[in-house]
Amino acid sequence: MAALSDFRLLRPASAADAVRLRGEHPASRFLAGGTDLLPNMRRGLVTAEAIIDLGGVAELAELRVVDAALHVGAGVTLATLAADPVVQARLPALAQAAASVAGPTHRTAATLGGNLCLDTRCMYYNQSEPWRHAIQNCMKIAGDTCRVATKSDRCWAAFSGDVAPALLALDAEVQVLGPQGSRRLSLADFYRDDGMAWLSLAADELLVSVRIPLTDGWVSAYEKLQVRGAIDFPLTGVAVALRREGDLIGDLRVACTGVSSRPELIGGLESLAGKPFDDAALALVEKQIKRGTQPMETTVINVSYRRRVTPVLAKRLLRRLWQAAA
Amino acid sequence: MNAPERNIVTLKPASEPRGVGARLPFVDGVEKVTGTARYTADLPADGALFGKILRSPYAHAELLEVDTREALALPGVRAVITGDECDMPYGVIPIAQNEFPLARDRVRYIGDPIVAVAAVDEATADAALALVRLRVRELPAYFNAAAARKLDAVLLHDNKPGNIERAVHNEFGDTAAGFAAADLVREDNYECAEVHHAMMEPNAALAAWDAERGHLTLWSVTQVPYYVHLTLARCLKMEAAHIRVIKPFIGGGFGHRTESLNFEVICGLLARAARGTVRLLQSREETFLAHRGRPESHIRMKLGMTRDGRLTACEAEVVQRGGAYGGYGLVTILYSGALLNGLYDIPAVKYDGYRVYSNTPACGAMRGHGTVNIRFAFESLLDSMGAELGLDAIEVRRRNLLVAPTDTINGLKVLSYGLPDCLDWVEAASGWQARKGKLGRIGHIGRGLGMACSHFVSGSAKPVHWSGEPHAVIILKLDFDASVTILTGASDIGQGSSTIITQVVAEVLGIDYSRIRLVANDSAITPKDNGSYSSRVTFMVGNAAADAAANLRRLLVKAAAKRLDVREHEVDWLGEAAAVLGDPERQISFADAVEEALVATGTLTVKGTFTCPPEFQGGKQRGGAVGSTMGFSYAAQAVEVSVDLELGKVTVEKVWAAVDCGFAINPMSVEGQVQGAVWMGMGQALSEETVYENGHHMAANMLDYRVPTIVESPDIEVHIVESIDPNGPFGAKEASEGPLSGFMSALAAAVEDATGQRFRTLPITPVRVFEALNKKPRAAKSPVASAQGAA
Repeated sequence: MAALSDFRLLRPASAADAVRLRGEHPASRFLAGGTDLLPNMRRGLVTAEAIIDLGGVAELAELRVVDAALHVGAGVTLATLAADPVVQARLPALAQAAASVAGPTHRTAATLGGNLCLDTRCMYYNQSEPWRHAIQNCMKIAGDTCRVATKSDRCWAAFSGDVAPALLALDAEVQVLGPQGSRRLSLADFYRDDGMAWLSLAADELLVSVRIPLTDGWVSAYEKLQVRGAIDFPLTGVAVALRREGDLIGDLRVACTGVSSRPELIGGLESLAGKPFDDAALALVEKQIKRGTQPMETTVINVSYRRRVTPVLAKRLLRRLWQAAA
Repeated sequence: MNAPERNIVTLKPASEPRGVGARLPFVDGVEKVTGTARYTADLPADGALFGKILRSPYAHAELLEVDTREALALPGVRAVITGDECDMPYGVIPIAQNEFPLARDRVRYIGDPIVAVAAVDEATADAALALVRLRVRELPAYFNAAAARKLDAVLLHDNKPGNIERAVHNEFGDTAAGFAAADLVREDNYECAEVHHAMMEPNAALAAWDAERGHLTLWSVTQVPYYVHLTLARCLKMEAAHIRVIKPFIGGGFGHRTESLNFEVICGLLARAARGTVRLLQSREETFLAHRGRPESHIRMKLGMTRDGRLTACEAEVVQRGGAYGGYGLVTILYSGALLNGLYDIPAVKYDGYRVYSNTPACGAMRGHGTVNIRFAFESLLDSMGAELGLDAIEVRRRNLLVAPTDTINGLKVLSYGLPDCLDWVEAASGWQARKGKLGRIGHIGRGLGMACSHFVSGSAKPVHWSGEPHAVIILKLDFDASVTILTGASDIGQGSSTIITQVVAEVLGIDYSRIRLVANDSAITPKDNGSYSSRVTFMVGNAAADAAANLRRLLVKAAAKRLDVREHEVDWLGEAAAVLGDPERQISFADAVEEALVATGTLTVKGTFTCPPEFQGGKQRGGAVGSTMGFSYAAQAVEVSVDLELGKVTVEKVWAAVDCGFAINPMSVEGQVQGAVWMGMGQALSEETVYENGHHMAANMLDYRVPTIVESPDIEVHIVESIDPNGPFGAKEASEGPLSGFMSALAAAVEDATGQRFRTLPITPVRVFEALNKKPRAAKSPVASAQGAA
């Protein structure tokens, strides 16, 4: 990888200052753990004249329970999240997802906000400048064609964060701060199915925190498919949250990652509420996952495999959680 | 006069091994662990210019024009060079030199260097390369061997019809008779993906041009400083005497660096053009593009066997996609055939090998050079045929063992052979008889056990550059301070050769390690060495070190005799002291012996050498030197896996590896080498694969080129068998390449045990396993069963 280009380093002390600086420097980027941004800068995927380091913003580091919900600042590291007793006990999908990101050294630096805002990935995009030049680039950077689907008018780069599907399954919402003040939106609304514009976040807005309800009776889990047990981004990842009512399904939420340009909350599962946990229920989950995800050739690992294995992971998690909730 | 009083301690012979046989931590371990070791990229070089290479974005094209005028005019640019700078092709094999440091007339793979720049900083170098204008005429490009071999294919190199770099055809014994005498004949096809070394340290070089003298000093990550030296002299058309090559600490090589690579020559050319010092750091991607790894291989393997499991004949055809240039290629294709022999007793072997040029980075030497893929095919077929005859995998191998000493049918000598002991240990340690085929399934997890054998040379008995010199030279310097300095050209690339040489010297002299220093790899100071490849260093340089130490010890014994006023045979040499035989109280210290030895002569330098006699240098056939060696290492290993039958994912649970390394000069180091070999084999077996899409390397980074992580690393239990080779130093042989080759087929056998499916394509990825396990019923017939049907 090439050296970083020159930039100004700005160190705001508050989220409001950070947002103001972002407005003042149009060619700037927020820096949290840097595990995604810095490699991308070194590959020339991101250029920035100013880097706004969020490390000194205290409010981004908060992690506390308020009114039956866990509030997590966007700057909390994945290592902290994965080791937090409340997260481990009440939100296991989140703990498992955070612990599954990359390797231990990455997780010590990488943050919740960074993982939620992770740039979408594609084998034609996450390459060096000479490499991209040799294919005349792609739509996501300096080109006009999507190399994954050359006739397509959109970019298919895949969202590959591990934490987002867990938080989707756990029904989280996010708080965003902009020049006009702060707004809240569901995490599902935070994402868009577009490899080039995958976040509903204006250039001068900052993801400040995530609120996750701590509702009794839910169990949850996350599992990702990867060739190796560490380092790898998810080829596909599935988070499941389940509430069991005796022998019936109370509530069920399933979300996937690595299978499209946004983390996908799988729809059409509402009808399972009040139904028995049987083959028909699992078949519906499988059908809805296949309907709701569309992995593309964004990695060197075969698409059909990723597509076929996603429901396998989901059903496996569901069976495990069903037993655990008994 | 200012010297401190010497502490006189009466010494007695040591009971524990202190020299050879000791579990000595690496002599350069402290620097590595504390971070003070300097690697090429760390070397201080004030004012060094930043070098950078413009590489071809075309897989195959004629270069019509390379316009560098604007780049040269950019402020801060000190040199811009093109293929015009060097018209001497290079290559490690003297008869296959067809690579230019910077392309002339033609580029042959995406990544082929075209222009290099030296500038005051990286940004300027980048800006300069962006100003270069290329005009080309694109040519048809071939990304696999079959496409390159088509009748109408454009030739990558005009002198090689059919794009075949080298075809090898030989037959030893009578294979037709062998197959006729067989009760069972089977043939299968095997595919192995191309793999890369993925050593930890990316490529880097630093070159300092002495403008006044016209001399060049080059520091590089090479395993073979001598070959780099020769290549620089050739490509820069310089006197070798005006060049100095230094190898600093190195973070691995595994064969990637056993030949001169383009960046080393380019760095030298840039320094001369800029009349200064140039640092050329290569990205991981560029390191992948320099490649030299194990080629994509298609193997057709046919074996004949009697009803009681005796091999009667072997016939193999190998096609390797060699990449764009010669490199070590013809050695790779020769090794594949030669090393069909030397492991088992096979009366007849026919081999047809084809090394094919393609528009991909050149392949070359990689740990287990040439033997790994064909060993996968051979061992796999041996398993299947044994099973068909109702013979257990270990039993069928026992029925085909060699008896040393012996000569193989292709002229290789086997003087020590510890394979039977390796098999016994693996069988017992893995609980083979009780567990093979009986591990069963729990839920969606299947478990299985498999095993295989393998071997490798302890140094090529005939070096690539045959100059008539000894195979290895070691110099020992003894001076007034009673220290011994070992001067060696052997490249420690992390494998521990400096430690082994030190142990050998310490053993023969009997002195304390704290007296011994080792200086390596500076052509101005250390003797020439052919380099670290073909597992030659322990065997050859180890022997040279023992010879040098024995020569020095003779001088010291003579001096001690004089000082003790006895005859030489009356001296009891204790290392740190010398005593009179039968009178241990009458002794002098080592320093006293040194003082006496230096009288009237001063500083002593003593040499030791080692030469492989001609009878070990292979058969008379063309290419017969490849595979020749003075000693083969032997290995057997058992692999236990679990397979997630729903996801297709294979997990290696445990490996038992036994190696016959002759004698373990450093058992701890041998264990590490064996574990590393098994682990590297595991990467090739499970997940590593270079992928090209229209010639674009799709996995030129450590995310997409999936080297196993610590999470995948199983417990690897190592057992050392010491067959005490008659020619090895203290009986030692190779330890680090042989144990790699058996892994793939042992794993494939374990996966078959767990799933009922035999995989003949590497790597055995989750995708492949998943697809095989989820095939429609009519296609799910096991390949073994279909072979039986054809019987």
